[in-house]
Amino acid sequence: MELFLNRISDGLSNGATYALIAMALVMIFKATTLINFAQGEFAMFGGFIVLVLATERGLPMWIAVVVGMLISAVLAAGIERTLIRPFDPADHLPLVIITLGLFLAINAIAGIVWRFDPRAFPELFPSGNALQWKTATLSWYTVGTVLTVLVVAGALTLLLNKTKVGLAFRAVSSNLESSELVGIKVGPTLQFGWAIAAAVGTLAVCVFVGTPIRQLEPNVMVTGLIFAVSAAALGGLDSLGGAIIGGLAIGLVQSIVVPYAGIPSELSLLAAVVVLMLVLVFKPSGLFGTPAVERV
Amino acid sequence: MATTPRFQFTQGTSSYKTYKLLGYALLVLVLLIVALAYNDTGSITLFDNDYKISVPRVTKAISFMIAILGLQVVAGFTGQLSLGQGFFFGTGAYISAWLVGDHNWPWFATLLVIVPACFLIGLLFGLPALRIRGLYLALVTLGLAAVFPSLILLDVLEPYTAGAAGKQAKSALVPPGWLPLDGIIDGLHSLPLVGDFFGDGEGMSSKEEQRVWTFFLMVVLAVVCFKMVSNLIKSRPGRAIRAIRDNETSAAVNGISLSYYKTMSFGVASALGGVGGMVYVAELGIASSGDFTQLLSILFIVGMVVGGVGTLSGAVIGGLVIAFVPDWASSTQNFPGVPERWLQGPTGGLILGILLIVLTFVLPGGIIAGVRQIKAKFVRVLPARPELLATAGVGASTMSPLTDEAVVDAIDDPTTSSES
Repeated sequence: MELFLNRISDGLSNGATYALIAMALVMIFKATTLINFAQGEFAMFGGFIVLVLATERGLPMWIAVVVGMLISAVLAAGIERTLIRPFDPADHLPLVIITLGLFLAINAIAGIVWRFDPRAFPELFPSGNALQWKTATLSWYTVGTVLTVLVVAGALTLLLNKTKVGLAFRAVSSNLESSELVGIKVGPTLQFGWAIAAAVGTLAVCVFVGTPIRQLEPNVMVTGLIFAVSAAALGGLDSLGGAIIGGLAIGLVQSIVVPYAGIPSELSLLAAVVVLMLVLVFKPSGLFGTPAVERV
Repeated sequence: MATTPRFQFTQGTSSYKTYKLLGYALLVLVLLIVALAYNDTGSITLFDNDYKISVPRVTKAISFMIAILGLQVVAGFTGQLSLGQGFFFGTGAYISAWLVGDHNWPWFATLLVIVPACFLIGLLFGLPALRIRGLYLALVTLGLAAVFPSLILLDVLEPYTAGAAGKQAKSALVPPGWLPLDGIIDGLHSLPLVGDFFGDGEGMSSKEEQRVWTFFLMVVLAVVCFKMVSNLIKSRPGRAIRAIRDNETSAAVNGISLSYYKTMSFGVASALGGVGGMVYVAELGIASSGDFTQLLSILFIVGMVVGGVGTLSGAVIGGLVIAFVPDWASSTQNFPGVPERWLQGPTGGLILGILLIVLTFVLPGGIIAGVRQIKAKFVRVLPARPELLATAGVGASTMSPLTDEAVVDAIDDPTTSSES
């Protein structure tokens, strides 16, 4: 029982990170039906910026996180403007190739600038346990990660529903051509989506490595992206709420189903891939996504 | 077109045949030079850096070429973006390493197992591809590629894969005794002017001979693979898969079975991936799980795009690029104007990433499109003038080979044919 509770707690904290990255993927997918394969690398890069701000510039941790999120949002907006916008959003192949190129380039730049030695990341949440029952513990870290996801989800909901740019973003994701016709500037709106996605991703990495059991290094998000992708697909690639549920579900599958089913822990990635495949084969729109209607 | 190219050939004439023959002769000459000049120690020195061009590296490039060729079939010609080619490359590599290392099979006999095995696994993964389209397929296949290293490290498979240590398969391909490699190299060495490039005048060591022999065998294997794919593309299934790529709906309306051709192209691509893996291990002598990560699959995509999507010669260029660029980047220790720090990390990945982005902007058809644009300025190939039906007598049957080839050339070579 205690083991079970501990595994739930582990699953929630992992799942929270996947949920955050999945939300970042959803922000871009919603508007352009494009999957940014470099999303994990964007996030990793943002994580390094935060680390540099916090350790070398001496900013307080949470301020460093906010500044880091802003910087990565600006960088992502710049990348969108220069590398993504020149291409037709409906033609996916060149865009996917660009994001794969970004994946390689950003990973390499981080490796060159910061090297591949893992680095300890300052803790974001108080250490110790919020709740304890026999040997079962619920650490502040788990509480913190789940709360972060909820705060981010709340903030994004407010941003999309209460602001003008949010309205424009929802219009563009609902129908790109029509929103262009009614005078919405589609380019900057999509750029806004990329910026938000990068900021959320940066926060995700800070939360992910902000515990003594993990460290930051350039490849930290390479497999994390696969988990996040299956989370986003499970929740429905165009639903923010679905991304949260999907992320937590994948985290729980990884930490509960995999050990209890006797599957070796190295194969938790396989579990995520199998989930992804099953979802896409049997319910391509995911749990909460909009079913795609195809007109011939 | 404003300017007339310097050379002009009409298909079917004898001058065209000479032109083609010259092309092949040039290719053979290049291969001979690669194999025999510089053999192992060969390097070009530029800004105090040694860039090695040795035979084993070219053999490695050949293994990548075959894998990219498979990717061309599924992604380039059928339009199914698969990021999982590394999975099949690794599968082929491990199967051959296991058969050769533990059961003393000859290298080429392992193909009898690899090709059907990878083909079947490919079919299996082609099945979800029927429902999963476009980007989703890319996601699933990327996941597949990411899982491969951890599958290899499973305890259950440990006896077959040797786990993290890597599976050794030391079985050299020894050239037959009647082949006068020593004589050839010494003969070339005695040539005036260029002789110094070929060996040291004392024949070849047995290691060098094995390298050259491996290279030759793999070249032959690669040529067979390329010829088979080229025939496939020119035939009925090839037209079917290209129709699927260009417009799925209209292909289905025209009676092409989408599910059949999509799964089949997945199977063919996977089998080729496996063959590439065999070449890789035959050259390297060891299969280790760290070599077959999802990064490898992404590199195959890089190779395909940099070479030219949907072209066969693009696979050759792509294989060379992904084999040599990371290697040369890491052997560049100093370069004027570039701080040392930027040369010591994963510079190869950076160069490939930037190359990918830049090419997508300036040359979406890949390097091969650029080469063809330049070639079109000098050489123009005209399709043969169709014979008059009445005078030919036999009618359609004599015409079809000519027109078929012209059509294929037009497809394979969009720049020259549209300009001519």
